[in-house]
Amino acid sequence: MTQQSRPAGRRRSRRLFAAVATVAAGALALTACGPGDSQQTDGDFDFSGKEVGAMSDYGLDTTFVATEPVEFSLFYRDHPNYPIEDDWRILTALDEFQNVSFDIVSAPLSDWDQRKATVIGAGTDVPQIISVTYPGQEVQFVAGGAILAVSDFIDYLPNFSDKVERWGLEDEIDQLRQEDGKFYLLPGLREQLRPQYTYAVRTDIWEELGLSLEPATFDEFADQLRTVHEAYPDAWPLSDRWSANGPIEATVNFAAPNFGTSAGWGYGEGLWWDGGEYVYTGATDEYRDLVEYYAGLVADGLMDPESLTQDDDQAIAKFGSGQSLAIGTNDQEILRLRSTFEELGTDAEVSMIVVPAGPAGDKLPAGQRLVNGFMLASHVAESENFLALLQFVDWLYYSDEGLEFAKWGIEGETFTRAADGTRVLNPNIDINGLNPGAPEALNVDYGFHNGVWMLEHGSTVDLDLSMLRPEVQEFVTATVDKKEQHPLPPPRPLTELEREQVSLWQTALRDHVWQNTSRFIVGQRPLTEWDAYVSELEGLNKQAYLDVINGAVERAAG
Amino acid sequence: MVATNLNQGPDRVAARIFRPATVAGIKDSRSYTVFRAINGVLIIVICFVTLYPFLNIIAQSFSSEAYINSGQVNLVPRGFTVTTFQYVLGDSMFWRNYGNTVVYTVVATAIAMVLTTTFAYALSKRHLKGRTFFIGIAVFTMFFNGGIIPNYILISTLGMKNTIWAIVLPNAISIFNLLVMKAFFENFPEDLEEAAAIDGLTTYGILGRIVLPLSKAVIATMVLFYAVSFWNSWFTAFLYMDRSELYPVTVYLRNLIAGATAGDPSAAAAGEATQVAANIKAVTMLLITIPIISLYPFIQKYFVSGVMLGSVKQ
Repeated sequence: MTQQSRPAGRRRSRRLFAAVATVAAGALALTACGPGDSQQTDGDFDFSGKEVGAMSDYGLDTTFVATEPVEFSLFYRDHPNYPIEDDWRILTALDEFQNVSFDIVSAPLSDWDQRKATVIGAGTDVPQIISVTYPGQEVQFVAGGAILAVSDFIDYLPNFSDKVERWGLEDEIDQLRQEDGKFYLLPGLREQLRPQYTYAVRTDIWEELGLSLEPATFDEFADQLRTVHEAYPDAWPLSDRWSANGPIEATVNFAAPNFGTSAGWGYGEGLWWDGGEYVYTGATDEYRDLVEYYAGLVADGLMDPESLTQDDDQAIAKFGSGQSLAIGTNDQEILRLRSTFEELGTDAEVSMIVVPAGPAGDKLPAGQRLVNGFMLASHVAESENFLALLQFVDWLYYSDEGLEFAKWGIEGETFTRAADGTRVLNPNIDINGLNPGAPEALNVDYGFHNGVWMLEHGSTVDLDLSMLRPEVQEFVTATVDKKEQHPLPPPRPLTELEREQVSLWQTALRDHVWQNTSRFIVGQRPLTEWDAYVSELEGLNKQAYLDVINGAVERAAG
Repeated sequence: MVATNLNQGPDRVAARIFRPATVAGIKDSRSYTVFRAINGVLIIVICFVTLYPFLNIIAQSFSSEAYINSGQVNLVPRGFTVTTFQYVLGDSMFWRNYGNTVVYTVVATAIAMVLTTTFAYALSKRHLKGRTFFIGIAVFTMFFNGGIIPNYILISTLGMKNTIWAIVLPNAISIFNLLVMKAFFENFPEDLEEAAAIDGLTTYGILGRIVLPLSKAVIATMVLFYAVSFWNSWFTAFLYMDRSELYPVTVYLRNLIAGATAGDPSAAAAGEATQVAANIKAVTMLLITIPIISLYPFIQKYFVSGVMLGSVKQ
């Protein structure tokens, strides 16, 4: 291609182009700066003009009834098992009795976190109430100013404050505080923690071989698996599931506290408080004990090495076809295992064992009593219904009446109360397998028992256990009676800069730990290389990470 | 112009591939026969391996859950039942979302085709001023985009959320398809267009009455590419639709499959990871893929020839 003549014209158009480009770039840069959201910083918030619909005498254990019909926008998580219906009884009841209706912004459960992050990150049309948020998930939104610092408004949440005080949750709430001393999430509260995950074993085989359904220690459980293997050499004694993100993450999560560490789902940021400072979980001797235990199971042929790689469906298929005789489960999944055997007409029976003790004793993880909760968008502080909204969320999510309503429904309509106070679900309604074969389901047809409105299954021990089948109630009570919790570690709130720095290190370290946990367990890497592995962690900025964290601890304490 | 003897039509093509060894009096050598036999067996095995998961899904959709959970379902349904079909087909949300998918696909494909064809045709003219600039912009967007949050803010502030426009407009032009069409139009014989211009047709006339009717192959291919991609897309709908009755059926399916086996460990640990029954997943998958699969044999000839279209420059 030859250059054409007319250089003067070329130069002019080139200069024009450069000028336009500069202006465009400048405009682009300026759009990046938007007006910052100003957060209310103090108590003594001025509610004038923001009390429309609020009750003047709202307090502890008062039923909330809005003085005028109010509508709140709600970020709703659509669960495929109970798709939302506009005429659900819970919605009509809230409208009828509390004068509250919702403008529902729905997102599917499959990508709930991503949608939430996008909408809140974008900051446009953020719904007022953002449901289903787990402690830790709100941190990413704090800096952007899109969510409300709810700790400033505790005085207007009497039921919340009352439960925190009665159940001694102040230390746990402190864990939620960010670097500015405020917390941004209203968590679900639990009076008592609820263990859910354990091993499900073939009861018929265990009884046939005279094995106890309550092995005292993990070593005893390993011996049981050994006995089973000798009696049934063609089947895997144990073939596990839930390895989607990390190796047998559900199982090591419930096993780890008994070894004095945390792992799998509970691994979190990889920090363990050793009494004086935070150390890195993946490098501790206790974590090594845990890995060694499972590596031993695989080496002895007691655990199927595919547990770390197979789909849940494959693991269930093995158990259902008798190719494996124990599997990880929770109180819901065991129903599916049981119904499979019943439908097939076999004699197989399944039951959950109480999680055994380990070298560190009979332990449960620390905390666990602040769970799935919700956030409020920061613009609610400018809404005319602000006070009404605070009162409403306090009533629905934290008052005994609201919790019972969200879980059980309406007395006389969905359940009845027996003379001794126990609640009985109407026989035509099923939930959690309480009335198997009933034509309707409490969540599908009525909208109650829905994770968006029901916080933490009712929070109180009474409500929490009320819908559980007897075997689950026994399991929960036995576990909680037998085991004690690890002590709560001190809070370690980070600045935004630290958080960014740390998140890169955290991910790299955790990925390395999980990859190597897999390899150690499966036997690809011999445990003699443990020290080499620990030094590899050093190379991934482990010490720098710990320094930042321990610095944050001191800063928060002092 | 790409000369492909596939234009002869499928029957003659098949006849040429499968012709007996003694056509035209020339016998194949023994080694060639052996080669063809082994080749045939290998291809049949590969076909079976590729088809097996699909047959497995079909079997699962007619089986009862207990048999699936005990791993007894392979190619043949066990515990034969059609209740799963009744259950899924009876879900009105499934049909509403299905209807949405059809509407979105048709509208999106139409808009995409109009935009891509006109853009490609314009770009194919070498005398277009700023041609390299426009091509540069187009290719630039293949590699870089604004990111999810800026896109979300843009679509939101334009007021397109919860409307069909949020799905059909943002990804209307696939640059890959654009470049293929551009190359095809570049190879289009100029003489035809010049002759038409001499006879008095305007540019639009040439495009509409000369070029497009002779470009059926590439248009059909692009329609197929776009239609399949819009049929399968779920991300834009998931991001911009606030109500479940606006979702396409792919979001419905994704929620069913990926939703209940939660990827979020804290959710899973809290016992929310209850699964949707395997047979319901299988039935839904089947119902969504069947239309595209039924359509494919009719468009196959365009697909096969279309992939190579625009690959040869004059």
